[in-house]
Amino acid sequence: MSAYTAGLLAEIGIGGIAALGVYVILATGQLSLGNAAFMAIGAYAAGWLTVTHDVGLTAAVLAGALLSGIVGVLVGFPALRLRGIYLAMATLGFGEMTRSFFLFFEPLGGAAGFSGMRQLQVSTIWIWLGIVLGVLVLLARSRLWLTLRAVNDDEVAANLIGLHATALKVGAFGMGAAISGISGALFAHWHLFIEPGNFGFERSTELVMAVILGGSTVAAGPVLGAGLLVLLPETLRFVADWRLAAFGALLILVLLVRRQGLLDRNLLRALTFRRRGAEARPEAAEVS
Amino acid sequence: MLLQQVVNGLTLGAVYTLVALGFSLVMGILGVLNLAIAELFMIGGYVGLTLVLADYPLPVAVLAAAGVAAVLGVVVEKVAYQPLRRAPPIAPLLSTLGCSVILQTVAVNIWGSDPLQLPPDLLDMRFDLGQASIGLAQVVIIAVAVLLVAILALLVQRSSVGQALRAIAENRDVARLLGVNAGRLTSAAFAISGALAGIAGVLIGLHYAAITPYVGVETGLKAIAVMVIGGTTSIWGVLLAGPLVGLVEVFSVVHGGAAFRDFAVYGLMILVLLLRPQGLLGGRAAGAQRV
Amino acid sequence: MLLSRRSLTLLAAAGVLPVARAQAQAGRLAGREIRIGAIVPSSGPFAEWGRANAATLRMVEEQVNGAGGVEGAKLKLFIYDDAARPAQAANLVRKLADDDKVLAIAGPLTSSACEVAFPVANQAKLPAISQASSKPGTAAANRPWAFRNTIDEAVLMRSALPFLKTTYKVAKAAVIYDAKDANSVSLGTRIMPEMLAEHGIALANAGNLASFNTGDIDVSAQVTALKGLNPDAVVCAADYSQAVTVIREMRRQGFVKPVIGGTPLISSAILRAAPDMPIISTATYYAGQEGEAAKRFTDAVTPVLRRTAGLPNTIEPSMYDAHMYEIVGIYLDAVRKAGITLADADLEADRGRIRGHLEHLTSYNGLSGPIHFNPDGDAVKTYFVVVGQNGRWTEKLRGCSTAGNLTC
Repeated sequence: MSAYTAGLLAEIGIGGIAALGVYVILATGQLSLGNAAFMAIGAYAAGWLTVTHDVGLTAAVLAGALLSGIVGVLVGFPALRLRGIYLAMATLGFGEMTRSFFLFFEPLGGAAGFSGMRQLQVSTIWIWLGIVLGVLVLLARSRLWLTLRAVNDDEVAANLIGLHATALKVGAFGMGAAISGISGALFAHWHLFIEPGNFGFERSTELVMAVILGGSTVAAGPVLGAGLLVLLPETLRFVADWRLAAFGALLILVLLVRRQGLLDRNLLRALTFRRRGAEARPEAAEVS
Repeated sequence: MLLQQVVNGLTLGAVYTLVALGFSLVMGILGVLNLAIAELFMIGGYVGLTLVLADYPLPVAVLAAAGVAAVLGVVVEKVAYQPLRRAPPIAPLLSTLGCSVILQTVAVNIWGSDPLQLPPDLLDMRFDLGQASIGLAQVVIIAVAVLLVAILALLVQRSSVGQALRAIAENRDVARLLGVNAGRLTSAAFAISGALAGIAGVLIGLHYAAITPYVGVETGLKAIAVMVIGGTTSIWGVLLAGPLVGLVEVFSVVHGGAAFRDFAVYGLMILVLLLRPQGLLGGRAAGAQRV
Repeated sequence: MLLSRRSLTLLAAAGVLPVARAQAQAGRLAGREIRIGAIVPSSGPFAEWGRANAATLRMVEEQVNGAGGVEGAKLKLFIYDDAARPAQAANLVRKLADDDKVLAIAGPLTSSACEVAFPVANQAKLPAISQASSKPGTAAANRPWAFRNTIDEAVLMRSALPFLKTTYKVAKAAVIYDAKDANSVSLGTRIMPEMLAEHGIALANAGNLASFNTGDIDVSAQVTALKGLNPDAVVCAADYSQAVTVIREMRRQGFVKPVIGGTPLISSAILRAAPDMPIISTATYYAGQEGEAAKRFTDAVTPVLRRTAGLPNTIEPSMYDAHMYEIVGIYLDAVRKAGITLADADLEADRGRIRGHLEHLTSYNGLSGPIHFNPDGDAVKTYFVVVGQNGRWTEKLRGCSTAGNLTC
């Protein structure tokens, strides 16, 4: 495997994990346009731990995820009051505030950025991706996921049959933030240099795009989406000056012809040659 | 100096009001955040400045910019909104983001990434206010912002087009049963919001006398904050929220720097969302629940 | 892109590129390919710089090969767009190193991209020279394979500030900087306050420096605050397209004072912002630069840039085009003198030889004289203190970023 391929794989892995953070939050019907902020928290926390306190990588990643998750829960509570586009705008504001914070927080380098990390292996990134995916796949088979989905489909009804919608939504926010935090921690130890500009509005929208492009109903979707977001700009090099425009056009095209994203349960089943009649049920609302 | 900073804040507020107006119409009526508005604002600025540089009279430049931006607004509607009308609001949010990327690339490829500048002496008249002074372009921007808000508010509240638009906002299917041509009116809403963004682009371009393909992003995000603070269901809201944000920006940037300023503005937006989700002037408490 | 015979002749005569000698010695490397990579931001916020860089490189390639190559070997450039995105730049270094098997890299342009691309170049043991990054310490942190054909802003300011002080009678200055751009932050908050103190100029807004963000269109509040302090000059730490906004606003508020800033101010766009306001900056090349080599480069490349699609037809070559031109020249100099074989099996050894050649670069003449690299990987070369006024840059002083016994 060439270093170039390895580099692209690392990008896909990091983007995929971060997108899975958005996916979990979206599963409860909440759209976050601020997950880059959770990446930033994970990245700076883990980077700071390994550089100044000589903490091991795994411990640092977990600590970054934990801190990010706690912030996620704190954001999740007020987010309960908001829905749809309004929630998206509040998370957008939270993302910009976090970026501004790191911009003027000198102890972590401020605008000059933070460095000194040691580089991890691409395989480490994919092991983390595997763990996160594994957890989410197990979750998808559990009762908990059904209740998450129920909250998404009809919150009032879910409350009526005794599901605790508040806890589920806040929990999803915390979990999504922690997952994006893992991605940020890995980002810091792959690129070896982080600055607030890495974690702005653009990154947050990219993560949402990955979920919507790849498919928001199965955990493999966001990873596929992240892969497309890394590979498309590379393969579109032949259009030269129109590269970014071609990317925008492809994004619209996918949204128009396959609204549920490229990957959904049916396609996944067909691809993996699994036949489970019992699970064959019509898809619920694809994008929330 | 305090007075001068107030003048600065009010001008900046008027700039945000103008851009927010473009976002507000489509958001308020259709519940869709049309991110391409930020780039229609930028394109309008380029079209207007190009014509001014070619010695066309100002009204021609403004009309042309409004026209181009309105047409592009309808294109955005046909391509990125209409097919996704029944999808949840994330889908059109992302498809209009796709349009933004395309429009930005178009601008870079037509006009380059260097700033397009007007000659320094154009519109350079200033009025003395004792301790402060205000430029002609600033006066024009503030006046036009107030005027456009008033016209749009009247249009939505009084005219038959406005009534039909509000009917669609309430319930699209019922509106169609009542004989409203929903498709055509939706196009009209996108066209009007595009035209507003285009006019904002020319005026703001003239005021700052320079424009780049990237002005849309930062200004657009701030304008969205202004729209949210003012209340998406109220046209008048942006006229209150624009100057408020302008003043907050001016005083926070002078005393705390640019990073602190953004912290303050988005903090204010979140505060408003939490305490008064319908915005400062949003009428219905249910407004935030609707989409 | 076809070059006119006239520009070919001009370039050959410039002597920066080893054309004439190459023809004389044709043969040693006959049939081989000199593979050199370049990373430029042809899309995104620095598209103009990136596209002009790419056009300059294509011109160099055509010119070198049109004259028979270097010792019989053809020059083959691999030019990629990183959209000024750090992650893309880092992956492009990997692509150039592994897939394209280049000898060396020119780029990336921005300091943010260099921060993540240089460590990759180090891992791949591939020489890389940035054409523009001037954030202090970016190459130094990534030795031994990272180099920059630029000079640390602090070194340049040591010449520019005394000039500002005596010429414009400056006793008090105020700082405004772009808080989102790392380069501008270090210049505005660290280098300039120190330098002003060193030169006995009072800092009017110490403790509350004015700042704005990349992309801001309104800086009226900051300029009003600066004006209230009544300084004799304004330090503007930002790249030119942002500085245009500041200078426009200063002029609108009737605050006409000399403006001083780092190398990113140099552009023809900033000259149009307020022709009556003097802009003091430093440059290692500027359009209109005197001197035979520089003039010939300007004459040859200007029509090429103006013909290139996607660039304005009034464009002038930027400092970074000149740097790109020199970087390729330096690599070709290494090919001729460092015992490069260009054989596939020797790729690693060749890259090492090029790095060794850069480390002890002595014999290469750039557009304004010899170029060496100091132990931090930054260029030791001639620079100019220039004043932009009434639509043109005028050279006021000449200096050299001397390091130890390396001098211009």
